[in-house]
Amino acid sequence: MLVSHKWLVELLEFDVAVDDVAKQLTSGGLEVEHVRRWGENLTGIVIAEVRGKKPHPSRDKLSLVTLFDGVAEQEVVCGASNVPDAGGLVAFARLGSTLPGGLKIEERKLGGVVSRGMICSEKELDIGADEDGILVIEKSRHTQPGAALADALDLRDTVYTLGLTPNRPDCLGHVGIARELCALIGDDNKAFTFPRPTSPRRLVQATSPLWQKSEHAFSLADQYGSMGAEPVKVSGIAPVSLQVSAPERCPRYGAALVTGVKIGPSAFVVRYRLHVLGQRAISNVVDATNLVLLGFGHPIHAFDLRKLRGSRIEVRLAKAGETMHTLDGQARALDADDLVICDGEGPVALAGVMGGANSEIGPGTEHVLIECAYFDPPTVRRTSKRTGLHTDSSHRFERGVDPSDVRAVLAHAAAWIADLAGGAVVPDALDFYAQPTTKAHVTFRRARAQALLGAEIDLARARAIFARLGCHVTPTAADTLAVTMPLHRPDLAREVDLIEEYARIVGYDTIATSLPNMRPSPEGTAPAIRFVRRVRESAASAGLWEAVNFAFVSPADHEKARVPASEARVANPMSEERSVLRTALLPGLLQNLVLSQRHAQKRFAGYEVARVFGANTDAKATLPSERYELGALLWGMRASSYDEREQLDFYDAKGMLESITHALAGVPVETVHDSSLDAQAPFLHPKRRGRVRVAGVDVGVLGELHPDIVNTYGLEGRPIYAALDVAALQHASEQVGVRKASPLPRFPASTRDLAVVVAEDVSAGEVASVLHDTAGTLAETVKLFDIYRGAPVPEGQKSLAFHVVYRDPRATLTDKLVDETHAKLTAIAEQRFRGTLR
Amino acid sequence: MTAVAAFEEGLGNAAAQYSDAFDAARDEPALRAANARYTGPNGLVTKLMKLMPELPKEQRRELGQRANQLKEEIERAFAQRLDGLLQAARLAELSGPSLDISLPGYGARRGYLHPLTRLKHELLDLFGALGFDIAEGPEVDLHENNFDRLGFPADHPATDMQDTFFMQQPPGVNPRATLLRTHTSTVQIREMLRRKPPLAVVSAGAVFRRDDDATHSPMFMQIEGFMVDEGVSFSHLKGVLTHFLQRLFGANVPVRFRPSYFPFVEPGGEVDVGCTLCRGYEVIHIPGQQPAALPGGSAEVCRACKGTGFMEILGCGMIHPVVFEHVGYDPERYTGFAFGMGIDRIAMLRYGIPELGLLYGNDPRFLTQL
Repeated sequence: MLVSHKWLVELLEFDVAVDDVAKQLTSGGLEVEHVRRWGENLTGIVIAEVRGKKPHPSRDKLSLVTLFDGVAEQEVVCGASNVPDAGGLVAFARLGSTLPGGLKIEERKLGGVVSRGMICSEKELDIGADEDGILVIEKSRHTQPGAALADALDLRDTVYTLGLTPNRPDCLGHVGIARELCALIGDDNKAFTFPRPTSPRRLVQATSPLWQKSEHAFSLADQYGSMGAEPVKVSGIAPVSLQVSAPERCPRYGAALVTGVKIGPSAFVVRYRLHVLGQRAISNVVDATNLVLLGFGHPIHAFDLRKLRGSRIEVRLAKAGETMHTLDGQARALDADDLVICDGEGPVALAGVMGGANSEIGPGTEHVLIECAYFDPPTVRRTSKRTGLHTDSSHRFERGVDPSDVRAVLAHAAAWIADLAGGAVVPDALDFYAQPTTKAHVTFRRARAQALLGAEIDLARARAIFARLGCHVTPTAADTLAVTMPLHRPDLAREVDLIEEYARIVGYDTIATSLPNMRPSPEGTAPAIRFVRRVRESAASAGLWEAVNFAFVSPADHEKARVPASEARVANPMSEERSVLRTALLPGLLQNLVLSQRHAQKRFAGYEVARVFGANTDAKATLPSERYELGALLWGMRASSYDEREQLDFYDAKGMLESITHALAGVPVETVHDSSLDAQAPFLHPKRRGRVRVAGVDVGVLGELHPDIVNTYGLEGRPIYAALDVAALQHASEQVGVRKASPLPRFPASTRDLAVVVAEDVSAGEVASVLHDTAGTLAETVKLFDIYRGAPVPEGQKSLAFHVVYRDPRATLTDKLVDETHAKLTAIAEQRFRGTLR
Repeated sequence: MTAVAAFEEGLGNAAAQYSDAFDAARDEPALRAANARYTGPNGLVTKLMKLMPELPKEQRRELGQRANQLKEEIERAFAQRLDGLLQAARLAELSGPSLDISLPGYGARRGYLHPLTRLKHELLDLFGALGFDIAEGPEVDLHENNFDRLGFPADHPATDMQDTFFMQQPPGVNPRATLLRTHTSTVQIREMLRRKPPLAVVSAGAVFRRDDDATHSPMFMQIEGFMVDEGVSFSHLKGVLTHFLQRLFGANVPVRFRPSYFPFVEPGGEVDVGCTLCRGYEVIHIPGQQPAALPGGSAEVCRACKGTGFMEILGCGMIHPVVFEHVGYDPERYTGFAFGMGIDRIAMLRYGIPELGLLYGNDPRFLTQL
């Protein structure tokens, strides 16, 4: 919302400084986002009088104009066709001045003639939108040649850009802002007064009724108070009828008539005010309706009376299948939920949203019917949303305009239109208001306000504040006020709203800060929440970096990465790429890896801990299941040295998982073969993957990515992926519980080595575990230290070498016992794995 | 030659040679080898000792003493020479060339928490230290929890503040029944429905809005906190948030509360903190005049605060009685405050991240910078 300082001062009847306005409005909750000063960038631009003009010697479209700029006569070359005759006034940019657009005015040769300055258009001076010709200035006592343009045309103003919250429709017009300022900086005893309409210059004395007889008739003359208007006789207009058929959607509908207007451009003052407020001037009648909207925040609509077929206005819901052309030229198919204004034959306006092309004000308009109504806000909003038509009008109606100001606004509007367009106001007007809107009554308790704000409340101050905001206040019992809320503030409905008003007007900064007494909650933070954090931290400790991908991905990515299809679809996605919620973290991490390889990175070690979405689980099947997953993707150069030839492999990934599970559960990770992974983890290499088990709990999968996926994504090398379920990890961790310390060994250990040649498909883990079992409690650890392939080990076999550490926790071992035990291990290795000793 | 003569000759040879042999040794292994030639298991002196029984009884004692003396002499000389060699080696290393310490280190690389996670943990810890519990809620939630129970009126422009992603519903179900939460305030509703006051809870996580441009991401991170008890006031809200913001941005940073509107709080407000980038709040800023300049006198307007000296950082307010009514708390008995803020913006400020896109691009070149 753009707000003119000059207009505010006119309404306030006292002067305020720009800085105060900006500061106070922001402190009152109407955030001033930007302040722009107008009329200050026009140094060197003056009024000049045309002394003569003649054609340019060589250029058809140019003329040579002699001007008097208050000091001397200047000859300039001008391209406009509307240069006035001698005696006319124009805006003249002297040599050395700079136009608001940045153009520096210097002597320029145009077709061989030197131009000493420039005659400007509104657009060039940024004081209007007209660029068709130069600005021709009407004579007044301020327009002496040589006078600064900003002074002569009274261009100085300050415009505030307000960022308004949707609860404050009252501030979508200057009157509301002035009322607000009055409460914020005015005198406590002086209430804001709504501006009183002034009588138009001309009033109609009708020879026959202009309205069908109606119980809703009222006289605008009562609104204008003192009269002094010139009476105008009008005849030949058929009486208009009004019918509101949907009063619940249109609780109030006022209409007035202005006759004998002459459509043309508005005076400069009007056009300039619209310009600084970001509106384009269109014609006198339309400009007047826009001024009413910007002034009172109450949109009105002007119909060309002649175009209303059957001299009839009806407010009703549209019929399904009905269509209309709105002002923007679009054909609109209407919905049975849309409220429309109709004439005798069909819709002529989409209520509160936009007028129809068929009843539009045009160059030939003579008589104007002005509508000022209160439409049901949700109705306007739904129509606006459905049609995609967000207008200045719908913006206000959907937030709630003031239903009580209809007569006053009609009176202002009629007078402005009549005076701007040379018409006459018809004093008889209509006001349908079958069921006046009820006002909220609230008791304001000082004690309650003090408790909520944690501050002392001055009841007299509160009373004055509420009154200045437009409330009706009466003190009741001690320390309470009975407050009736004004209809221009639909946001005020409860006591707490008044408490906010008080705090807002006195300023939040006047409320002291204090710390509450915290009562510790017996519940605390759920272990699952703390566990997720530990998972993230332990993965980072293991050397991985954390990714944060979007929760929504494309269904194609799921298919490509061979993870389950998602049942959680977004109904209104921004793109197909982000249209379903992920069922796994793999698609996101794969995208990250693809980019990384594209950027010629040599290594990727990313992980993500986030929610993945599954089928609806609850009985009513409304919300998808959500669970935390840990996904980790590794690829490329091993980090152990600056040798770039070593590539990360399965065991690096397993080592990282080991580090993670050690941190989380205090136990190592196991990887086991499980053929069901063919179906459950089709994204992994069938010969290079396994199920991940921690403390006997299956927590996820680990393996190289399936070569098909590597191929589809155009990846290099052999990426390794792990996906763990965080809840399962937590369960495993709980199984282990808190680890207890063991005493350090008091007796020495004895280490023997054992190497056995076995077939390639015998796993080292299997051998180690048989050795361990055979040695029983005497073996402290059985640890693989070498795998050897090649001569003299036969093809298809490998040599596995183990360190076996023997220790008896209760006594020193004898060599004899160790020798005997080791011999048993040797024997079993030969028997069980058909191995041979090396 | 008699045994005695041979023995004497052996002793003489050893005594004459060892010293030169030790001096000739240039390093520890050579010295040890030389020493072994005299006192080792096959050394000259050791062999002589083994000949002792063959010596005549009357001379055995005297010759034995001489052999022992010589052995001790040699051992002393060895120890002395060894010490000299070690010292010389140490001196040589200490005065010799340096290790090439410019070579990169190796071993496991450290990992990185995402900047958003790191900041999230820090924010949660700040509130944890004040006694707030941490809670979480689902990312897909009911319309009721995201809007209705928070007091958003149906068909009201307040919902425009949060353009929503709705989830697809089976035919016959209200098409707006479930959605991707647009704010973490859903957790307020869920926790209040689940628990009874007193409670102080903070929650952080991903939220979603249909917005995608230079300053908006369709998914972003928010943190939300609220406290409900008897006697909780706006003054407490100001106290807790001022404390929090000064812990986060620095003890002296100015904190400014001004009124604003969110349907679920009343009175509602927004909080600004002094711009940490340009510290423009130190210069009194007058609206409509030249905005605060960047440090170093740059003419450019500060990116973080747009020259106002203050940055809008969070929304807050006293929980609206309508919210209490919806969760079954007595609004006459209990009061509470709530606040929420975006984590992304604070992360960008703190880490000097120039574009929002970097936070969700997961480029390791970015993630491993911080």
